[in-house]
Amino acid sequence: MKLLEIKNLNKSFENKEILKDVNLSLSSGKIVGLLGKNGAGKTTLIKLINDLLTPTSGEILINGNKVGVETKKVISYLPERTYLNKQMKVSEVIDYFKDFYKDFDEKKAEKLLKDLDLDINQHLTKMSKGMQEKVQLVLVMSRNADLYILDEPLGGVDPATRDYILDTILSNFNENASVILSTHLISDIERILDEVIFIDKGKIVLQSDADKLRNKEKSSIDEIFRRMFKC
Amino acid sequence: MLNKLLKYDLKYMIKNMSIFYMLSIFFAITTRILFDIEQSVIINIIGQISVSCMFGMIASILINTMMKSWGRFRDSLYKDESYLTHTLPVTKNELYNSKFIQTLIFFFIGFIVIILSLFIAYYSKENWLSITNYIKTITAGLNMNTFFFIVMAIILIFLEVFNAIMCGFFGMILGHKKNNGKLGYSVLVGFIIYLIAQASIIALLFIYGLFDSSVMGLFKSGTISIDVNAFKTLAIIASILYLLIIYGISLLCKKELNKGVNVE
Repeated sequence: MKLLEIKNLNKSFENKEILKDVNLSLSSGKIVGLLGKNGAGKTTLIKLINDLLTPTSGEILINGNKVGVETKKVISYLPERTYLNKQMKVSEVIDYFKDFYKDFDEKKAEKLLKDLDLDINQHLTKMSKGMQEKVQLVLVMSRNADLYILDEPLGGVDPATRDYILDTILSNFNENASVILSTHLISDIERILDEVIFIDKGKIVLQSDADKLRNKEKSSIDEIFRRMFKC
Repeated sequence: MLNKLLKYDLKYMIKNMSIFYMLSIFFAITTRILFDIEQSVIINIIGQISVSCMFGMIASILINTMMKSWGRFRDSLYKDESYLTHTLPVTKNELYNSKFIQTLIFFFIGFIVIILSLFIAYYSKENWLSITNYIKTITAGLNMNTFFFIVMAIILIFLEVFNAIMCGFFGMILGHKKNNGKLGYSVLVGFIIYLIAQASIIALLFIYGLFDSSVMGLFKSGTISIDVNAFKTLAIIASILYLLIIYGISLLCKKELNKGVNVE
């Protein structure tokens, strides 16, 4: 059974087609780059998988289940915005995740917070946006999920922390899990990608093994992307 | 999972409402002390300020319970926090039920704190007697039992306010769906739903009146000194209708939520 299977997915907003007949399947144990220009439909696709949007038509299956309670148990999602209740302390947010997600590893979260110099007793209101994003990443990566979906995880962080985040992603997901990474910073994530999906104007234009694509085109994913989506 | 959702919804409300509860009781105590001690012009002025503050806090409890309930509903389901709420492994029904129960609990707590504040500030044998005499005068005019009058008045006020909040929830769900989160539209839709709910209650009471001449008398007569049973029946039927409408609105809210959301 495929970890993620998307069949004939369409999404429109006010008669404007954002996603057009998207078909996609994903196996376990892969780190997948979801790459595309601004407005290509990456975030829309991710939000549909996470039940934040309702499809106009088509089907999304995760481990054979339609999007719902069962799929939310196995997806760990990092959105591109800060979504935590700002009135909470970091320790309270950890308790929140522990309460709702059976697969949440508190010890791992505490270790990651320590590595990133984040104070567990600090209020989120007193943290910068970048620090809040790090807390969210820690929470998401501290789950033992089947599918991690990270929307622009490197966007708000400094280059030094980017490496730590990528290493965290690499070392904190198990071999049965997959990661979908959506980002503009292709050169930063290229080294960890097993597979790439190029999306343009709401359509999947390419899905390929990263090494095979590099060998075939004799250039890096970043260069292929620049060539393909040159303005 | 409902108990876990409720735990965090209640925590949020406690954090936001406890200051109003504490200030209401604080000003009730100061009012009591200032009116109990020997009177002077200054003490009297401070006492009047204290009374104003207490009533200000009582109004704040009512207004903020309503506003915070709506705000919490909107933030959790449609603003940034919804990215967490909708990705929790819980059903949409559980999300709605948690907000419903949270609102119910905090309206109840608000009522208790208001009654407690008034009791602390004003309780004395003389005041109690004058209040009971006042209520007795009203109930005698209406040929009604005092206890029944108080209980029904509290129930009807509670149901009326709660119905308004539910209309607000439904307005937000429909408003967001039609206009992608623009608050003004949600408020307008909520207000229209509220008017429809009120009109429905009056229409249903009128229909009931077609089968009960004493109730119809209330619609046709210009005086209020009518058969005691008519008022009793009216109050009971109105309460049942409120409950049915609240239940109906809740079902519609859940139905719409279960169709899926489109978060900005």
